[in-house]
Amino acid sequence: MSRSMKAVHLVLLAAALMASGGVSAALPMAAPTGGFPASPPAPGPVPKLAVPIPASQTLPNGLQVVSVRRAELPLVTARLVLRSGGEMDPPKLAGLAELTANLLSKGAAGKTAPQIAAAAEALGGTLKAAAGWDESAVGITVTTPKLPKALALLADVVRQPTFSAAELGRAKAQAIDDLHLMLSQPTALAALAASRGVFGTGAYGHSRSGTPASLARITRADVQRLHASLYRPDNAILVLTGDITPARARQLAQASFGDWPKPAMPLPVKPVGKTASRLPAILLIDQHGAGQAGVVVAHAVPPRRAPDYYVGVVANAVLGGSYSARLNEQIRIRRGLSYGASSRLEPLSDAGLWLAAAQTKNPSVPQVLDLILAELRHLGRSTASVHELAARKATLIGSYGRSLETTEGLAGQVARLAIYGIDLQQIDQYIEQVQAVTPGQIEAYAHRHLDAEGSKVVVVGDTSRFAATVRKAHPKAEVVEAAALDLDSPLLRMPTRGGLPTD
Amino acid sequence: MTMRLRPAMLLATCALLAVTGAWPPVAATELRIPPIQFHQRTLSNGLQVLSVVDHSSPNVAVQMWYHVGSKDDPKGRSGFAHLFEHLMFKSTKHMHAEQMDRLTEDVGGANNASTGDDVTNYFEVVPSNYLQTLLWAEAERLSNLNVDQKNFQSERAVVEEEYRTRVLAQPYGKLFNAIDPYSYTTYPYKRPTIGSIKDLQAASLRDVINFHKTFYRPDNATLIVVGDFDQKQLDAWVDRYFGWIPKPALPVPPITVKEPARKKNLRYTVTSATAPLPAVALTWLIPPASHSADTIALQVAAALLARGDSSRLYQSLVYRHQVAQQVGADADGRIGPGLFVVYAILASGHQPAEAEKLLNEEIIWLATQPISTAELDKVKTQLLTSELEHRQTAQGVAFALGNATLIEGGPEHVNTDLAMLQKVSAADVHRVLQKYVTGARSVTIDYLPQATGAAAATANGEAK
Repeated sequence: MSRSMKAVHLVLLAAALMASGGVSAALPMAAPTGGFPASPPAPGPVPKLAVPIPASQTLPNGLQVVSVRRAELPLVTARLVLRSGGEMDPPKLAGLAELTANLLSKGAAGKTAPQIAAAAEALGGTLKAAAGWDESAVGITVTTPKLPKALALLADVVRQPTFSAAELGRAKAQAIDDLHLMLSQPTALAALAASRGVFGTGAYGHSRSGTPASLARITRADVQRLHASLYRPDNAILVLTGDITPARARQLAQASFGDWPKPAMPLPVKPVGKTASRLPAILLIDQHGAGQAGVVVAHAVPPRRAPDYYVGVVANAVLGGSYSARLNEQIRIRRGLSYGASSRLEPLSDAGLWLAAAQTKNPSVPQVLDLILAELRHLGRSTASVHELAARKATLIGSYGRSLETTEGLAGQVARLAIYGIDLQQIDQYIEQVQAVTPGQIEAYAHRHLDAEGSKVVVVGDTSRFAATVRKAHPKAEVVEAAALDLDSPLLRMPTRGGLPTD
Repeated sequence: MTMRLRPAMLLATCALLAVTGAWPPVAATELRIPPIQFHQRTLSNGLQVLSVVDHSSPNVAVQMWYHVGSKDDPKGRSGFAHLFEHLMFKSTKHMHAEQMDRLTEDVGGANNASTGDDVTNYFEVVPSNYLQTLLWAEAERLSNLNVDQKNFQSERAVVEEEYRTRVLAQPYGKLFNAIDPYSYTTYPYKRPTIGSIKDLQAASLRDVINFHKTFYRPDNATLIVVGDFDQKQLDAWVDRYFGWIPKPALPVPPITVKEPARKKNLRYTVTSATAPLPAVALTWLIPPASHSADTIALQVAAALLARGDSSRLYQSLVYRHQVAQQVGADADGRIGPGLFVVYAILASGHQPAEAEKLLNEEIIWLATQPISTAELDKVKTQLLTSELEHRQTAQGVAFALGNATLIEGGPEHVNTDLAMLQKVSAADVHRVLQKYVTGARSVTIDYLPQATGAAAATANGEAK
């Protein structure tokens, strides 16, 4: 668009505004006294957020029962959570924990998969099962009168899954199709590769959803073995949130899970989460025909129970935790290079992950990558202003408060505390802890854990459009074809000249 | 974002339940939920105001719904209503660009907006002490928008990236984006909400000014406020900040074209460079959402077909025959003619024709054979529970009210549709399916991965 045309439009705009302002005088309702205020009215007194307090009880078999009462509507979320997830996948059996969780509702206690789905849906809910890192969970949200039946169904699928060969075959075929779907999305594939770059051969470095090869290897005996070793009351938490009292929670937990025996064998030890990575610092994965590229930058960060957890939370909030955070400000708002740039912090039991991502048109990859790295450098070398920090802390606190408004959100927050053995009363100390973080702490955290030079970078896209430019600034960037990736290998590909053999 | 609005949700009957904290008897066979007690008024300039007081959290949801959507995109400017939505976050006479974020995110709130075929909504949730501030800000951007060229260009680039993210980078983005263009011949729903890169690049600041003048006016908007506030105080603030805004003399341009009935079945093919598996979608025309009796029966039909793993399409295509890895059905009611849509994403080794045959068989079976009371009760309970979950937050209640008011025929529908859902019978499901689906003409879209474009990673030694 030419400069002269721009001028014309600005004149038109001014005229339109004057016209609308001029008409207002003739309106039936008068403009506010003194005209429409030129600045926003000041806020009233701050309202108080009331955080519901969890109650925790333990049954004789070791099952922890956590309930939180929020009784505005007749709804309850029930979730059975195990303190183990994808990190327990044995070597070469990536995806086993997730497949096991998926199979729970596909046949149990004499009922077939369709019978279980029909039973859950007749109660108005859906049995949702999934495995994450450090947790596996199956849950359902129902109206209060349906809760006893929902818990009985939950107990059936957790305690007595059938794991039939036919269902295993179905689940494997679906998991392989789902995996191909995920890997066709540039940012999802880049995030998977970046996790390998951060955690190496550690437990958090493999594909939690499996690989086509590992899924094909999994047998019924593998599923049964994982279930027998991890699905036990002394490794489980029953979370009940919503329209429920602690006494009722205990009564219902006892009825459905009270006779769940605790095995004599000890719980398996968690494997090491992270080892040194042998991936290049910058990996460019070529995906032919990609309409947009995914740019991911990742770092290892301290685990959930580390004392600087809240410093990490606020540092991430400043960098990329919300729309107005620095990454989106630089990449989307100022430059229009992406629909959204953001980052997330995922502190786990034995290590943690920080990951930033943005999708952009292929030719913009070098610019977006350098903008992300520049923000990492900036955070570790200068203090955030008091003003900026106050805004990002408010964003965090507000979003936390809203997460407690639904029964599902509440269940998620208390489950995350319970999994890591953190005092449940911390649910009420979030605001205080976030407010206590200082600019100096953030700078030191970023310098130590998020330094640009130590970043693991993965870009997935049409590399013919950006690899040469990326290499000008980063000569060591390596290119690999998406079709040649070996997700089972810590190097993500078969050994090349001088490469180390994969294990 | 163009996120399509949540499909109109249906509720089961509601009578007042005293929330006493006492354990409801387990024997209760029918759950009762409280109706939404909304307050309604219209200012002399035509602004409709709906409000619900709820002190259960210290937040308030503020939503502005404009009765304009992508069906109103100017000629040669597909995607414009959505681009305009983005520009409403830029500068006004008294606010600098992104000041809306300063007044929401920075004080512990949140904001967003969405554009659909029929409506554009702007929604915020803030600590309730910021209600007055937000009312001022919404009145300001309704009356004093003032976008400059620099902000216009950078935001247009963001929308182009949004197009790439939603349509190009999502493996099934091109399929879902093709449904409207192939399903309508005449009605302006045939333009996709996200538009095209070419039309977006043709848009100018002049278009922005004209669009704001034509559609962003008090008599074309509904303000919804839900949460922790005092009704009298709200009324006074609304009068103060919105009351003075003039109602333009010219009426809002109506859409007069009619979508003709389909005369024959049609079939199209769309290809994708990145989708790992083929897919197929079928659509039929349905009446406007305000035809409640038909719309609600079609929603029940869609739920019987595809809501949950016990649904008919899932059981047939995904579970028994294993030809699909994902299925869906939706009765997409709109202000104008809507669509009944079913689709399947195929499982490896299967082709669209196999899924299409099974989809049609299940629909014909549902349209003609007996439906048990237990199965009907199941979907009604599912729909009720899901709606209760949405209504846990002020924002959820405000969305339910907005959809009822702008799409479903009036705010009272947020409560009256419940009774209607309870009464849907097997005969109703048969009637609407026979009339609009099995007795009408379909559009079928085959979605095929391009042979050379398979881009997914595979592991060494992949077993087959």
